[in-house]
Amino acid sequence: MSQAQPPATEEHAVHRHLMRFGEAESLATPMWEERGTSVRAIAGYLASLWDGEPRLDADGAPLVTEKGLPHGRASVLNLIVTVIDESAADRVVRTLEGLGVRHPSRAIVLVPEHGTGEAPIDARISTHCNEGGSGQEQICYEEVVLTVRGEASEHLSGIVAPLLIHDLPTHIWWPGDPPWRDPVFDQLIDMGDRVIVDSSDFADLLTGLRRTANLRRRSGVGDLSWERLTWWQELTAQFFDAPRFRRYLPNLSRLLIRYAVPTPTADRHDEDLEVAPGVHEPMAQALLYAGWIATRLGWKRYRTIEALADGALRLRLEGKHEMVDLVIKPTASDEVRPGDLLSVRLRSLGETGAAEFIIDRDADDAIVATNADGMTALLRRVPMESPSEAELLSAQLTMDVADPVYEAAVRAAAILLASSREAAAA
Amino acid sequence: MATRVSDERATPPADEKSEADTQRVAPDPRQPRPNPLREGLRLERMAEPCTMVICGATGDLTERKLAPALYNTLLGGFLPPEFTVVGFARRELDDEAFREHLLEGINRFSRNRPAKAAIWDSFARGIEYHQGDFDDPSAYVELAKRLDRIDRDRGTSGNRLFYLAVPPTLYPEIVNQLDRAGLASPGDRRRSGPRRGWTRVIVEKPFGYDLESARTLNHELGEVFDETQVYRIDHYLGKETVQNLAVFRFGNGLFEPIWNRRYIDSVQITVAETVGVEGRGEFYDATGALRDIVQGHALQLMAMFAMDPPVEFHAEDLRDEKLKVLRGVKPMSPADVATNTVRGQYVSGWVEGEKVQSYRDDEKVAPDSDTETFVALKLGIDSWRWAGVPFYLRTGKALPSRVTEIAVRFKQAPLALFARAGVPQIEPNVLAIRVQPDEGILLRFGAKVPGQGLQIRSVNMDFRYGSSFAVDSPDAYETLLLDAMVGDASLFTRDDEVERAWEILDPVLDAWKAGEGGPLHFYGAGTWGPPAADELLERDGRAWRRP
Repeated sequence: MSQAQPPATEEHAVHRHLMRFGEAESLATPMWEERGTSVRAIAGYLASLWDGEPRLDADGAPLVTEKGLPHGRASVLNLIVTVIDESAADRVVRTLEGLGVRHPSRAIVLVPEHGTGEAPIDARISTHCNEGGSGQEQICYEEVVLTVRGEASEHLSGIVAPLLIHDLPTHIWWPGDPPWRDPVFDQLIDMGDRVIVDSSDFADLLTGLRRTANLRRRSGVGDLSWERLTWWQELTAQFFDAPRFRRYLPNLSRLLIRYAVPTPTADRHDEDLEVAPGVHEPMAQALLYAGWIATRLGWKRYRTIEALADGALRLRLEGKHEMVDLVIKPTASDEVRPGDLLSVRLRSLGETGAAEFIIDRDADDAIVATNADGMTALLRRVPMESPSEAELLSAQLTMDVADPVYEAAVRAAAILLASSREAAAA
Repeated sequence: MATRVSDERATPPADEKSEADTQRVAPDPRQPRPNPLREGLRLERMAEPCTMVICGATGDLTERKLAPALYNTLLGGFLPPEFTVVGFARRELDDEAFREHLLEGINRFSRNRPAKAAIWDSFARGIEYHQGDFDDPSAYVELAKRLDRIDRDRGTSGNRLFYLAVPPTLYPEIVNQLDRAGLASPGDRRRSGPRRGWTRVIVEKPFGYDLESARTLNHELGEVFDETQVYRIDHYLGKETVQNLAVFRFGNGLFEPIWNRRYIDSVQITVAETVGVEGRGEFYDATGALRDIVQGHALQLMAMFAMDPPVEFHAEDLRDEKLKVLRGVKPMSPADVATNTVRGQYVSGWVEGEKVQSYRDDEKVAPDSDTETFVALKLGIDSWRWAGVPFYLRTGKALPSRVTEIAVRFKQAPLALFARAGVPQIEPNVLAIRVQPDEGILLRFGAKVPGQGLQIRSVNMDFRYGSSFAVDSPDAYETLLLDAMVGDASLFTRDDEVERAWEILDPVLDAWKAGEGGPLHFYGAGTWGPPAADELLERDGRAWRRP
């Protein structure tokens, strides 16, 4: 392989900088780039990548396994990412590099350009080998960035299909607001096993949640905003792992969720009140959390107390034994990413007595407290770091095809949001 | 093994009555209703609220292994808020000094270090130190009071995990004292008021020195604890690979049908170390390779490899199957020992570019010691699956490379279609399961060399876990501690397994001791053991794989 030159030192440094997991380091070979190329040429290049002469490391020594054989690998995953423009592609590539050793075996980033251009397809291919934590292991992957113009951009699936590693799970990550009714979106969904969206990026939250809920009939669905809730869910579930606290679950009577919105500043104009870039719908996480609790505990919609206004809502739900007051409120905070949860309070009132379960986030930690059984409050501090996009994606890529708990939660979130809007109309 | 399920469900919910009341329709009171919020979450295994009492808490093991393991388990989110640690030892320390001791261990030895101050401070509030002599009854009475208080204050529900981080000679004293103070039995009602919850005890290896001492030890533990309460920890079994071995065999349809005498010619298990006995000479000279490695690691690997599929992936089913394998290994007569075992001891040589002095030159080793630092065994399993398939085990110190692997040699193709005069028969297929250091699976098969004519070469197809999954594997102690808190004994050794292993090995030890088991051979450090070990296989027309 003629490209198997020692990598440029600068590129090396960039990759070191970008590795986020453990002590992983990456070796990147120089990029193969061709404007106006064909799918066949790209596929040919990809096929040639890992055979032929042994690849060389930075010192010009061949990269070999412990057995003295040229490097081989086991492939686990394809990832297709569709972005709106070149700058979004760069951002995605950086996120993918952040995946480090958990990278999919082959990632294809598609940049459709609808205007008619000179050549239909430009390709940029780079290969990376990360050293795993153990020092010996190498995990190699390819990254293909394709800019597709004109008519070809309406037939993306035909371009991608020959470039995938055969018979491997294929995930489709759609950063930003997915074009729900676009046939190109449909084609890609049908190619993959799982679609990953971020509900905080939806242009219209209700539509997005509903469409996401419907996607499950055709594909597995993942959501980065749901992934952000993982640790919150874990902490919440921990309250009720102890059997003596579990009995409070059927008698929960109030769920209060606060989520972060940026602090408004005095000189901001109305149109600037939009949240930080990338977060169109800061309420998404709070709704998904509420949807999760509601579906796990079998709560039903009952009536709206306070219609949705300024990102706050209050609904009455029907729980197993009690009526449940669901309150979602925005709270100005610049300490965490907009949309992240700041506080969850679960209150139980009933024949078992009063109890409150509290998680309060505070920058990188959270305080978790239980007041129940007339006991001294059990209080502790636990780590609560905001995961990076790469970490969220990495966790999503390890998921199975279907996530029924999420699917139920997203349906419920859509129902909760719709209820609060209906009342506003009335 | 995400599907592992706890098999110890003897514990009723902490507050059975009121739970039944609130649910109106009372479920089986012995089965706590599962937490509905747990469903589908990442962390399927959470420790139950409990207190872990470390006996011998000021020792090396606590600092090096237990403190880091607890901290990493905490960071992973596996420890419940109620979780409490009580260090129990003789040394005069206060709570603060003991916390400092643990923190130091984390900051030195943890894979996540240093400890984050805010997290640690919060966790440290649940750490206490209990000073006392292990032979002083009043120390245990005080301990019982302390644990009751913790149950009340921190909600640990009467669940207690005792970790005996002390030499085995102290086990009988400690367990008897625990018993007398009412700390040993679950649901103990002798003290004021009923106490609900489980009590488990973790003991470290070695589990005895021979069959008799193992029986005595098991008996002493058994006097006080029920076998389901005893967790014999062998950190080797907590390694990811050992669990992978089960997944490889029972998670794939391809291999199980050929996992028997019809297709498998022989099996080799190698546990090779490059290190000598540096610093451990005293312990090692009294132990030897057979007791140190074969009794636990090698026989357990063999049992995991050879066992029938368990009915369910539960501790008891798993251990029943492993025991069946060990019961199929028939103890040897002295004559068999002479034929089927080779023991060796290293003399000076070079390992990994460094000079290693002779075993007998180690300052802690007797100059005329005949302790074996290498052993090779030929064993057989008398079962329908394995009759006639030899299992060759070898282990040693100061060998050329550090490797643990199981190599399966398959039978030759029945007809030598491609054999020609002067061309050797094609080599048999080999499946090698590498446990460490580079966890993976290698399959060796014949392929045609491209070109005119029919030339066949063996090629290796090499799969390495690390090249497809790169996730920090938890340290073995993290896995095992959490298992014990969850009540999953799958990776712990049961009393009958331990005793059976000694029943297999005692005749070997006896024959060697009596001088009937063949001579002690010498091998240069940095070689694959004495030539006699090669002859053991050559006799059968086989050879050791070079790992």
